[in-house]
Amino acid sequence: MKRYISNLFAGLIMVGLTLPATSFAQNADEVFRAAGSPHNPKVDIAFNRYYTAEGLAEISKKIAAAHPDLVRRVSIGKSYEGRDIWMLQVTNYKKGVADRKPGFYVDGNIHSNEIQGAEISIYTAWYLTENFGDVDYITDMLDNRIFYIVPTINPDARNNYMKEANTGSSPRSGMMPLDDDRDGLVDEDGLDDLDGDGSVTSMRRKSEYGDFIVDPLDPRKMLQIGPDDITTAQRYEMLGSEGIDNDGDGRVNEDRPGVYDPNRDWAWKWQPDYIQRGALKYPFSAPENRAVADFVLAHPNIAGAQSFHNSGGMILRGPGAEEDLATYNRADLRIYDAIGMKGQKMLPGYRYLTVYKDLYSVFGGELDWFYGSRGIYTFTNEIFSSFAYYKSNNPDRNQSYDFDQELLAGDAFTPWATYNHPTYGEVEIGGFKKNFGRATPGFMLEEELHRNMAFALYHAHHMPLLSIDKVTEKDLGGGLREITVVIKNDRMMPTHASQDLKYKIERPDFVTISGVDVQAGMIVQDLDLNLSTEQKVDPAKMVLESIPGNGIVTLRWIVSGKGKAKITVDSAKGGVITN
Amino acid sequence: MNQKVKKWVLGALFLFSVSLQAQDYNNANQLEQRLKQLAGSSPDVKLESITKTDGGKDIWMLTLGKGDVDSKPAMAVVGGVEGAHVLGVEMAVRFAEGIVKDNANVLEKTTFYVFPNMSPDATEQYFAKLKYERSGNAKQTDDDRDGKLNEDPFDDLNGDGIITWMRVEDATGDWITHPADSRVMIKANKGEGEKGKYKIFTEGRDNDKDGSFNEDGEGGIHFRKNLTYEFPYFEAGAGEHSVSEKENRALLDFLYTKWNLYSVFTFGPGNNLASPWKFNRAGASKRVVTSILSEDADLNKFISDAYNKTTGMKNAPASGEQGGDFLQWAYFHFGRLSVGTPGWWAPTVKDEEGGVANKDKNQEVNFLRWAAQENLSNYFVDWKEISHPDFPNQKVEVGGIAPFKMNNPPMSMVGDASKKNNDFIVELVGMQADVKLVNLKSEAVGKGMTRITVDVYNAGTLPTHTQMGTRSRWLMPIRVEVKLGKDQEVISGRRIMTINNLDGDGSQQFTWLVKGNGSVQIEAGAPHAGVDNVTVNLK
Repeated sequence: MKRYISNLFAGLIMVGLTLPATSFAQNADEVFRAAGSPHNPKVDIAFNRYYTAEGLAEISKKIAAAHPDLVRRVSIGKSYEGRDIWMLQVTNYKKGVADRKPGFYVDGNIHSNEIQGAEISIYTAWYLTENFGDVDYITDMLDNRIFYIVPTINPDARNNYMKEANTGSSPRSGMMPLDDDRDGLVDEDGLDDLDGDGSVTSMRRKSEYGDFIVDPLDPRKMLQIGPDDITTAQRYEMLGSEGIDNDGDGRVNEDRPGVYDPNRDWAWKWQPDYIQRGALKYPFSAPENRAVADFVLAHPNIAGAQSFHNSGGMILRGPGAEEDLATYNRADLRIYDAIGMKGQKMLPGYRYLTVYKDLYSVFGGELDWFYGSRGIYTFTNEIFSSFAYYKSNNPDRNQSYDFDQELLAGDAFTPWATYNHPTYGEVEIGGFKKNFGRATPGFMLEEELHRNMAFALYHAHHMPLLSIDKVTEKDLGGGLREITVVIKNDRMMPTHASQDLKYKIERPDFVTISGVDVQAGMIVQDLDLNLSTEQKVDPAKMVLESIPGNGIVTLRWIVSGKGKAKITVDSAKGGVITN
Repeated sequence: MNQKVKKWVLGALFLFSVSLQAQDYNNANQLEQRLKQLAGSSPDVKLESITKTDGGKDIWMLTLGKGDVDSKPAMAVVGGVEGAHVLGVEMAVRFAEGIVKDNANVLEKTTFYVFPNMSPDATEQYFAKLKYERSGNAKQTDDDRDGKLNEDPFDDLNGDGIITWMRVEDATGDWITHPADSRVMIKANKGEGEKGKYKIFTEGRDNDKDGSFNEDGEGGIHFRKNLTYEFPYFEAGAGEHSVSEKENRALLDFLYTKWNLYSVFTFGPGNNLASPWKFNRAGASKRVVTSILSEDADLNKFISDAYNKTTGMKNAPASGEQGGDFLQWAYFHFGRLSVGTPGWWAPTVKDEEGGVANKDKNQEVNFLRWAAQENLSNYFVDWKEISHPDFPNQKVEVGGIAPFKMNNPPMSMVGDASKKNNDFIVELVGMQADVKLVNLKSEAVGKGMTRITVDVYNAGTLPTHTQMGTRSRWLMPIRVEVKLGKDQEVISGRRIMTINNLDGDGSQQFTWLVKGNGSVQIEAGAPHAGVDNVTVNLK
C-alpha cells in the first residue's frame, strides 16, 4: 500500500508537470476494473485512433516520465529526414542489470502505410508499465526480461502516409528520393489528392466504351460489365488512382516519393534491385534500418523479436526466400511452430504462415535477418483482415460497403464527385479512404492491439529463463570435494537457437565456479551411469555451447579448499545467474 | 626544341623521377605524401579522403579529369582491395601518375576516380615490426566466436620478424614435400596411395589451447570479403553483415552517386583479364545470378584477348575471386564493366634439363625457381627445427616462402608491369561507348509539320551497357529527347524515349513528326556513355 501511494504521488507529480490537465488519472473511486486492463492508468491514451510520428514521440515521452523505474526512452538514431527513432526500453530497473536480461525486440511500421504496429508497440509499453506490480505475469516479465520497443522505424513516411496524398497502400517506402522512372529526375510525379479529401481514391469518367456501370442499388460501387451483359446504363471507364501527369512525360504518378522497400534492405541473403525489387544499394542503406541493426548487434541479449505490418491476418515466419529454405532447421521450427500455433488461437482470423510459400518469395526481409544472422526467433504479424468486419471466415463480397454503412456511419468512403482534370477533362473522383481496408477501424483497434501484444508477450515469456536448480556436494576424501550443479532452463527457447549453434553466432554460455580450487571440471551427460566429458582447459570456467529449452545441463567439479563455492551462469541470451 | 631533343629531355626527366622513387612499397604516410605531390603537380588531379578507417587511416580518392569531370564517362581504378597485395596499391598510384605524365589527353574524354588503397589498416602490416600477410582492417573481431578477442595471434617462433609456416612430422598429417622441390609442401594424393607425413600450421602457438592455431589474432574485416555478392556469412574476416565497414560503405556510397561510371578496374587477386569469366547457362538463368551473362561473357573474352595481346603476360595463376569480393561485386551487383588483374605474377620458369620437372605446374615451385633465377633475396625461410611447447615430442620446423614475396615483386620490376597495365587501360577506355546523333534528316510534310529522322549511334567499340547493366536501377538507359520550344508540338513519336543498350558500332533510328516553327534540339545519351545534341531547323 505504501508503495502504491508513493508511486501514485510520484506519478501525480510527474504527470502533473508534463501533461495537460486532461491526462490526469481518474479518481480511483470513479472506476471499476475490467479484467485484464489497467483501470486507472497513470498515462491515459486513446486507443481508438492513430498517431503521427510526433504524436507517438509525445506519448512515449509521457510513458517514460510516468514510470521512471520501468522505462528508459532513447533515440537509437535518426531517420532520413532527421527524426529521432525512439525506443522504449521497458524492464524493472530496480532488479538485475537491464541489458543483461533476455531481451525482446518489438517494432512497427517499417512499411509506412502499415501503421498499426506503432500503436501495438505503444499499447505494449503502456500495458506493461501500468500493470506492473498489479499483475504477477507482467511483474515477473519485467523482473526477468527487458523489452526494446520501437513504435515506428519509418517515422518520415508514416507522416507522409497520414498527411500527404496517399492510398491505403502507399507510400510503403521510406522518404529517400529515388528516380523511379530513370529519367534523371527524382520524385517528380507522385500521387495527387485532387479533391482534397485527404486520400487518394479513384478516378472514373463517363464513356460510351467503358467497362463499368454504377451499381443501381449502391451508388458507391462500380460493377464490371461482363462479355454477355447488356446494359443501357451510363458506362464508365476507370482511370486509375487520383493524379495528374506532373512532369508532362505522358505518364501519371510514375515517380513517387521513394520508392524502395525498407523490408528488402536487411542483410540476410540480401540481393540487389534487379533480383529483389525494392532493395537499395546494400544492406541497411535506409538509416532507420541501420539504427535497428546496430542496436541489435550491440545487444546480444535479444532472444526474441516481433515486427508488425498489415494486412491480411497473418503470423509469419521465414524464410522469406525459397532459396533460403535450408536456413530454417527442424529444431528451430519446433519452437516457431509452438509459438505460431498459439498465436493462431490468440488471434482469431489470423493464420500462422511461412513467407516464401504463403505470401511471396523475397530476399532482404527483417525477420530473416533477425533469425538467419542473429539467431533470434522472430515473427512478423500482418495486422487486420476482412475477417474482422463480421467475424466471419466466409466474407460476403459486399462486406466492405456494408461495414462502412452499418458500423462506420459511412465515414470510410468519399462519395463520387465531379472534378475537372487537366488531361482527362471532366472525371469523377471517389472511393474508400486511405484509412480503410488495411488500417483497423477505430472501435476495433484496442482489441487488435491487445491480442497482438498478448502474442508478443507469450513469445517473450518463452525466452530462456535460467536458474541454478540444485547444487550438491560430496566429500571424496583427501581434501577433495565433488560439486554437482544442475542448471535449468524453464522455457521453450534454448540459449542458442539451432541456427546460432550451427554458425556459432553468439559466444557460448559460461559457468564459472569461484571460492574453491578447481582440480577438474566436466559436463555430465548421465548422472546415473556417471558419463561425463571433461573440459581440460580452464575448468573453473566451463563452456556450454547452449542450454536447451525446457531442459537442464549438469556440471561437476572436483575441487579442493574449504571455501564455499560461488557459481555464476553467464549467457548472452539467457542472462546472468548467481547462486 | 626539335622533337628528338624533346623526347630525350623528357626521357631523362622520367629516368630522374624514377630514381627518386622509393625502393620499396609505400606505407600510409609515404603514400599520402606521394598522392599530395601528384595532386599538386597538375590541375587535372584532385585528391580527397572519403573516410577514415577504424584504424584512423584515410581512404584516398584521386579524381583525374579535365573540365566537367563528373559528366564524362568514367572508370574507377581501385587498388589495395587485398591487404596482402601491396602491389595493387602501387599499381593504382602508378596508373594515376602515368596518366598525368604521359596520357593526360585521355582525360579529354574519360574521367578516372582512383582509389589507391582500400585496405590501409591491413597493408601497414607489410611495414610493421612483425610482418605477415594481413587482410583485415582494425575492427575488433572475435574470429572464432568464442567470446574472447584476439586471444590466439601468430607467434614469431624463430624470431625472424616474419610469420611463415610450421611443419610438424606426424603420421596423421596430410602433407608431403613436393617431388620437384622438397621445400614446398603439398597435400598427399591419397587416391594414388600417397601417405601424408606432415601437419602444416601457420607459425605460432595455440595460445588459448583450443586446438586451433592462430585463429583469432588482431584484425579485422577484409575489404574484399565484406561486399554483397556471395557474401561469406560467418566466415572470419567477413563481418557480421555485408558492407559493414566504413571503407566499404564510403566507396559504395561514392560509386552509387556517379552515374557517369561505366567501368571498374581492380588491381587485386581476381583476374578476369588473363582469362575471362566463363558463361554458365544454369548460373545465369537462376533468380540469383551466379554466372556472367552470355553477352557479357563475349565482351569479357574480347577485352581479355586485348589484355593478353597488349601486356604480353602469360600463364597467370588461377584467379583469386572469393565471396564478398569487389571485382565480382562491381559486375554482379553494380552492373558495370568490371575487370581486374593482379598486375604482375612470377613468369613461368622452364624446367631445367636434368632437374626434376615441375609436372603439376606448382606455383610455389615455379616461384622459387624464378626467384633464384632473378637472384632475389629473403624470399624463402629455410625450414629449421625449433622446440615447440604444443608439440613436446614431435619434430617441428619453421620455414617456407616469406610473406608478400610471391605476389609483390621487387620494386625494380614494378615499372615494367605497371607500364603494360597502364597501356592496356588507356587502350580500354579508348574503346568506350560514345553516343552520337548521325544521319539527321528533316523533311517538310506540309501544314507546318516537319518529319525528323536521326540515328542514335554508338561510335565506341564497347557497348553502352553490359547486359547486367541493362537490368540495374543504378545505370541510366540511353535517353533520347526532343526539346521543344514555344508553340511546338510532337504530333507523332514520343518526346522522350529510352534505349536499354547500344552495342559498339550499333545504332537505332528515331522518327518524329513535329509541328511548329523555328528549331528544336534533340539530345541523346547517358552520363556513362556520352551525350550528343543536334539542332534541327523546322521546315
